[in-house]
Amino acid sequence: MSKPVGPVLRMSDDVDAIVAAIVDDNPDREVTIVDRGAYTRVSGDGELRVTRESIRRHLGRDFEMRQLENLMSAFAGRIDMTSEEVRWRLKNESA
Amino acid sequence: MARMAREKWYDIARDLDWELTYVDYEAVFPEWMCGQGKVPREAWAKWDEPYKVTYPEYVATQREKETGAYSVKAVLQKSRVFDQLDEGWKSVAKQHFGAVALVEDLAAYAELRMARFGLSPAWRNMATFGALDETRHTQISLYFPHELLGKDPQYDWAHKAYQTNEWAIIAARATFDGMMMNPNVVDVAVQLPFTFETGFTNVQFVALSADALESGDINFANMISSIQTDEARHSQQGGPTLEILVEHDPRRAQWIIDKTFWVSARLFSVLTGPAMDYYTPLQTRKQSYKEFMQEWIAGQFLDQLRDYGLKKPWYWDEFMAGLDTWHHSLHLGVWYWRPTVWWKPQGGVSPEERDWLHDKYPQWEQQFGPIWNVITGNINDNRMELTLPETLPWLCNLCHLPIGTAGSPHNEKYPVRSYPLTYNGYAYHFCSRPCRQIWWEDRDTLRDPTVIERLLGGEIQPPTFEGILAWMGLTPDVRGDDAYGYRWARKPQSENRPETQDPGVQAKEFSPPPNGAQAVPVNAMFDNDFVTQLVVVLDTDTVADAARKVAAQVVGRRVPQRDAGLVVRLDGRVVPGDVTVAESGVSALDIVHVGWAQ
Repeated sequence: MSKPVGPVLRMSDDVDAIVAAIVDDNPDREVTIVDRGAYTRVSGDGELRVTRESIRRHLGRDFEMRQLENLMSAFAGRIDMTSEEVRWRLKNESA
Repeated sequence: MARMAREKWYDIARDLDWELTYVDYEAVFPEWMCGQGKVPREAWAKWDEPYKVTYPEYVATQREKETGAYSVKAVLQKSRVFDQLDEGWKSVAKQHFGAVALVEDLAAYAELRMARFGLSPAWRNMATFGALDETRHTQISLYFPHELLGKDPQYDWAHKAYQTNEWAIIAARATFDGMMMNPNVVDVAVQLPFTFETGFTNVQFVALSADALESGDINFANMISSIQTDEARHSQQGGPTLEILVEHDPRRAQWIIDKTFWVSARLFSVLTGPAMDYYTPLQTRKQSYKEFMQEWIAGQFLDQLRDYGLKKPWYWDEFMAGLDTWHHSLHLGVWYWRPTVWWKPQGGVSPEERDWLHDKYPQWEQQFGPIWNVITGNINDNRMELTLPETLPWLCNLCHLPIGTAGSPHNEKYPVRSYPLTYNGYAYHFCSRPCRQIWWEDRDTLRDPTVIERLLGGEIQPPTFEGILAWMGLTPDVRGDDAYGYRWARKPQSENRPETQDPGVQAKEFSPPPNGAQAVPVNAMFDNDFVTQLVVVLDTDTVADAARKVAAQVVGRRVPQRDAGLVVRLDGRVVPGDVTVAESGVSALDIVHVGWAQ
């Protein structure tokens, strides 16, 4: 993976559901997950996204996008955040 | 009632601003505070934070974070988890609290400066959240260790450390004053949120949480990773500022990042490196410090730098080489000078641990093994006085860390040596070429005297090692000692020995000289040692006497004794042993090299 981007999630019961939502929302990308216990690094090449709808479905309960902040200790790449979707990407394609 | 989605109204609310009519723009946003430089005023209107949050969202999320962190603490407070933690690991937390808690407070001021002088309303809004974040971090970093005060007085240094002249704190203060308090806010945004918070704090707050959890310190792991969720958001002030700066003044942008990266890397090699590779119990280490740095800095941060159109810092190869040596050297220094720290450094060099170090750092045994062999031998032979210092390492005028620790013994490319600079007739000493270059460029704002300079200037009284410890605020009950009581060093056959006794610190005077003689403090280096040290010789000493004074601080302590004479070099030339120091041309603050005669 030459341009890994994506979130680093801290230990929480919800991590598996968030990771499942990311995998679901990026069907055409290879998603790499590295679990180091206290944190889980989720990476895709160049861009990753996750939607509120997918997270709600995997958690089985309501979810506001702002709540992702509780879980996200860091991220690689740049972030774009709306009420319905978060994207991690690199802006400079030649990077 | 359905709420309007945030993105439909956020920009209008966030960009609320007004034209100044009763005062000049420059009076409200003075250049010395704002640092617009070559960037035209209107360019800041493009400032757009990527990680958006409204005030109601902020309050709700922070409440959830606080509830999570404090409820874990409340549950664990009633358990015996803390009592079962490894003593080496406890030192990771003690070191963290002392070095970080009040830096968080300093960061609140840095955020407040951006909240006031930031050059767009969006930036000021984001910085206001940042100031609230950093206030939370200060509080939580003081509250968590407070409950441990009754168990161990070293936890008192969570609050005390930053208010003392302890040497590592002076190093931290010099770094963070240069990052947060001295610069204008454009520089602050590129230094603190961008370089430090999207780069280095990840290693201390996220990577270290992996070791913390594995070591059983759930409370600490939970606390630091919770803090970093705030950082992930407010660090995004760096990107938009950098983007504008790169467009209008890329040279300045590159320089700010390069210098901040270097001083941060130096500081982390004494804070985080030893914690990960020596204090964390062997069986619970997730990765080595080098591996964590490769993941978070050489990988993630460098990708980010390239994405903004910037280059690797000019010293990149030296930094990468330093991942193999700096923190080993600094760990050795912290352990040898252990009475000067507020935690208990774990030696971390038992045979099994040395195998791990050799596996992770193939040059470790060759570079540091011989010194630890001498130390281990002294412990086993109960010559503890030789495992404790009688003088101080010479300190770098920029990073304030011991000179020599940006290299290593038996290292041809980055040897143990001082990089001097004489400016206006005064000799400054640096640990590396980048430290010297950064100091030269920023010399008007980086004039913190080192502990050595304060000692030689008469600020520390009495000028004894005991006097230095008192000046640093280190009372006998908190001075560091080996975390494991030296058991890592003992050979199996010596297990029945009586407990090794720490002989305490020698009250050796650095002065005054006898009548008629002048003290000549020199920056002394001995072959195959890992630091250069302050050694005070007399102008009436012969050079051979002076060489013996230097050797007394090294030989038998860290370098094995040899049946050979000593030779002194000054500026690369051999100085005869039978002349006096005054006749030899050796002056105060000179670099004097002592080694074995072939």
